[in-house]
Amino acid sequence: MATGHEQWLEQGDIYALGALDGQEMKDFEAHLASGCAICEAYIREIRESLLLLHRAITPFEPSSAAKSLIFDQIAGDKKFVPIAAVQSKRTGIWQRMVGTIAAGIVGVVITAAYYHYRYEPRHSVYSAVIDLLRDPNTRDVALYGAGPTPAALGRCLWNKSGEGHLFVTNLPAAPEGKMYAVWTIAQESSPRYVASIRTDAKGLGGVHINAAQSDKPIQTFAVTLEPVGTTAAPTGPMVLVSKQS
Amino acid sequence: MSAQSISSGYLVQQVAQQDREAFSQLYDRCSSLVFSLAMRMLRVRSDAEDLLQEVFVQIWRQASNYSAERGTPEAWIVNIARSRAIDKLRSIRRMEQSFVLTDDPARAESSDNVETSAAESEAKMAMSSALVNLPEAQRRVLELAYFDGLTQTEIAARLKEPLGTVKTRMRSGIQRLREIMKMQAA
Repeated sequence: MATGHEQWLEQGDIYALGALDGQEMKDFEAHLASGCAICEAYIREIRESLLLLHRAITPFEPSSAAKSLIFDQIAGDKKFVPIAAVQSKRTGIWQRMVGTIAAGIVGVVITAAYYHYRYEPRHSVYSAVIDLLRDPNTRDVALYGAGPTPAALGRCLWNKSGEGHLFVTNLPAAPEGKMYAVWTIAQESSPRYVASIRTDAKGLGGVHINAAQSDKPIQTFAVTLEPVGTTAAPTGPMVLVSKQS
Repeated sequence: MSAQSISSGYLVQQVAQQDREAFSQLYDRCSSLVFSLAMRMLRVRSDAEDLLQEVFVQIWRQASNYSAERGTPEAWIVNIARSRAIDKLRSIRRMEQSFVLTDDPARAESSDNVETSAAESEAKMAMSSALVNLPEAQRRVLELAYFDGLTQTEIAARLKEPLGTVKTRMRSGIQRLREIMKMQAA
């Protein structure tokens, strides 16, 4: 270790932790930008050590749908070879027959896949709602229209585990660029975003909620109209709210 | 370097070549690590799943930026996840300062959860024999920084401790972790 480098290394500890701030942060980043190999190697080592802190966290598994969503999102990144381009090279009756049979099989597979993806999630939701209704720890909370939507109504099945399902009626579809955000509010706590909900042309909608379990009982459920992507804290008008329980 | 990390490094190299099978294997190997961290930091499942998605899409698109010289793939992935989670947490804190629905803004939910989660984590950490000797005060500042994304100044304010004390505890805690890491590697 280079002599006179101790001060930088001390700051490197806190930098690797992500806690350095203010002028110290600016100075240290300038030092790193100057190409200090000692500090770079040191920070790398500290970051590896910090992985030990992961032993302290409760393990959670993401839902099975999460992987599919990621693969859907990266699908546009892969090089795509159109099937038609491949098929156009095939000539002759046998090849056409093979093509027809293959197309039939593909059609059946696509149809089966369509029904699977179209209806399977819905069945899963129905099952989850039934499970909620069976659970004695599930509350049934009424929500009432507020602000710009006094005629709206809602009903939230809520389990203290953090799982719930919200049904709404008479809530007009959110305007372009807006969404309805669902919040739970525990005693003396700020609202916590738990889901967004869409409604159809008839004003009907529903969403299944899987939030982390709250330490304190949830007192209030609210729905606000927000710009798309707002999840940190409510900023828009409240359209549905429960009475405090 | 363990076989596990070599193997993950190879997967990242393959992902850089847009190999979806390698990406799938990397996801299976690291998604729990990322998701558990996201749940610990963000606490809302839907937010944690959003973060998981963002992290893995970034890995897919930027795997070529990874270099084994810059650490293990796990540390690289965790660093991506933490950076994104900290951005979100800091954004939430900024929004909470102007939040209108709570009766007592001084008792923001995140603050309560920090205490609760810290207690929970301390209990979990106590179960980890490798970390059992880390003093509570050191563990606390490390957790507030690592999992809650607080800076040294924010931690000093939160704990009502002098900044110098917080820095000392952080550095002592980190050095202890470093020693444990070295002992495990030996």
